[in-house]
Amino acid sequence: MSTSAPPRSSQLSTALARDRLGVPSVVFFVMSAAAPLTVVAGVVPTGLAVTSLTALSIGFLAVALVLAIFSVGYVAMARHIANAGAFYAYISRGIGRPVGVGAAWMALLAYNSFQLAAIGGFGAIASPLFKDWFGVNIAWWVFSLVTWALTAVLGIRDVAVNGKVLATLLVAEITLVVVFSVADILTPNFQPSTAPIDPSSLIGAGAGALLVMAVTGFVGFEQSVVFSEESRDPRRTVPRATYVALALIALLYAFASWAMISAAGPNVVDRAGKEGPELFFNVASDRIGSIAIHLGHALFLTSLIAAMISFHNIIARYTFSLGREGVLPRIFGRTVPGTGAPKNGSLAQSALGLIVIVLYAINGWDPLVQLFFYGGSEGAIGVMLLITLTSIAVIGYFARNPQGENAWHRVGAPALGTVLLLAVCYLAFTNIATLFGVDPSSKVTWIVPTTYAVVMVAGIIWALLLRAGRPRVYEGIGYGARSAAASTTARGGFTAAMNPGYDREEQRW
Amino acid sequence: MAAPPQLPLADDLFLAAHDTIRGKSLLSPATLGLGLASALLGELVLWRRMDLHDSMLTIVDDRATTDAATTAVLEQLLKEPHHRQVREWISFLATGVATDLTVRRLARSGLVVRQEKRGLLGTKITYVPVDSSAAGWPATRVRTVIARGEYLDIPDLVLAGLMLATGLDQHVLVTLDPRERAHLFDQLRRRLPAMLQELVGHAEAAVGDAVMARRA
Repeated sequence: MSTSAPPRSSQLSTALARDRLGVPSVVFFVMSAAAPLTVVAGVVPTGLAVTSLTALSIGFLAVALVLAIFSVGYVAMARHIANAGAFYAYISRGIGRPVGVGAAWMALLAYNSFQLAAIGGFGAIASPLFKDWFGVNIAWWVFSLVTWALTAVLGIRDVAVNGKVLATLLVAEITLVVVFSVADILTPNFQPSTAPIDPSSLIGAGAGALLVMAVTGFVGFEQSVVFSEESRDPRRTVPRATYVALALIALLYAFASWAMISAAGPNVVDRAGKEGPELFFNVASDRIGSIAIHLGHALFLTSLIAAMISFHNIIARYTFSLGREGVLPRIFGRTVPGTGAPKNGSLAQSALGLIVIVLYAINGWDPLVQLFFYGGSEGAIGVMLLITLTSIAVIGYFARNPQGENAWHRVGAPALGTVLLLAVCYLAFTNIATLFGVDPSSKVTWIVPTTYAVVMVAGIIWALLLRAGRPRVYEGIGYGARSAAASTTARGGFTAAMNPGYDREEQRW
Repeated sequence: MAAPPQLPLADDLFLAAHDTIRGKSLLSPATLGLGLASALLGELVLWRRMDLHDSMLTIVDDRATTDAATTAVLEQLLKEPHHRQVREWISFLATGVATDLTVRRLARSGLVVRQEKRGLLGTKITYVPVDSSAAGWPATRVRTVIARGEYLDIPDLVLAGLMLATGLDQHVLVTLDPRERAHLFDQLRRRLPAMLQELVGHAEAAVGDAVMARRA
């Protein structure tokens, strides 16, 4: 940036600093993708019922620790690469472009799984609630379609509304989770249970399933680096915000799941099977009036909507950045000029959502387990794989470009992080049957890893095709917008126009 | 000393970015700010006060221009010799400085008028083009020249480039058919000077980064 310290206070620096984001803002943005109530009231009880595992609190803490170690190298490398919010950029620069493109496709699969999970979860929760409140029996997919439409419209129209609404919901949800958890502790006959925090469960049977469930709670933390350009002091704001977000998320979920599991008594797994997401509300209901319970239900629904919107935004922007680089058709790199929304990225994701709702509705598949929980697990596995690949990429990148970062950032933390992450992946894949609550011989155990393998291979082939057919685009993969504007990297309407052969491409798309 | 075009670049962009009938902005405030910031920097290049190479700005002539807006930007640049990264200046000017300077200049020429809308949440001030045909002229000019197969002058080429960079082309250049688009892109490749090409590229990157950070 500036070559040396300015002699007196610079108006430019002050104006930019005032306009830029500090640690709290970045933490807020990151946590708004977390949707706390969805995890605590949705994932935890459903996970308990499907997997019969109770050591979730320690799972959250363990995952937070591994991600914190990973983040050391991650944020260090983020300082040196463009398009820092996308795992594929790191993987392209650190491992190679073909694997990078494969990772981009994997990321789209994983994030879409989460988004679709939220849509299914909403319908699954709203339908019985409405029956309870109004006595009307409406199918889950009606509710899902309504929120799908809302997400689609917000995705295209007004980005600003999303940010403020999400922030308000986040604060309300966190407050509610804390209040309910304290209420759990205050119930008569509360017996603090050690099962949720039993460290031996991390190496026991089902450890992998626990860890994958825990990963669900942290998805979105990696977006903190997207705000590097807009943050006050990128060297410090982004790392601090990342660690703060990880810590807050971990403590909140660990505390809430411990309180809930303890208060549910010795038969928590059976209760979870019978009561489902109601478990969260039932264990606290002794101390909490019915108004608070209704409020809790309402916030649960808004939490799912918030998760839907957040993931839609993430996917739309991911698609946008891929379109900017030419890795996806450049039409995805266009915005809605009046709102600043990534137009075609948003529309594509909305189209996919509609197809999935219709598919599940027609086939009569269960939205709670088969869309919400399975979708979330599929997404979490994908994110885990991406984080592991990124960790390896960090080592590879710094091996070639030390960039003045110290040894802990370049090698120590990344190496340790990679080892831990590989262990987590191994545990996850050996426990897939437990995670999905199926027989070890079931198809699911190999279908899930295969989806990611297929997508990775497809991405590699695509990259090789790009290298042969559009070498300039291939060269630019992973370099985003920070390379010199006059370079060969295609980005959007203008730079796309600057590349000869654009017209042929235009017609081809 | 190069003579500036009839209407300065940022003024043209501002007018092009507003719906001629209702006077509403077709761009979000943040995107408009980024476009106008880049346009003002482009004007300084056209005034030959400034060069741009590899993302770094260099002042080659520190004399004031005859125009208040560009002089203000030039003075700021001279006051901050430690800041020469073009993206910094685009970001800084886009915080409201560029929009402010541009509307003042347009108001002085009588092309926009200040409008106050009293609502429940307070008074909202907007600047609205006065005459819809004068307001529509920059975009019409670009479209007409292209449609005739003629060549745009350099400032209008930069204008067209900034239209693409901000996504404004989806509104004002949507009527161009593929042949006309190809003609425009051809001109942008061959006739837009390298420095201005680079500037427009940075403008587009800035808009894209704002989209990614949810601040577009």
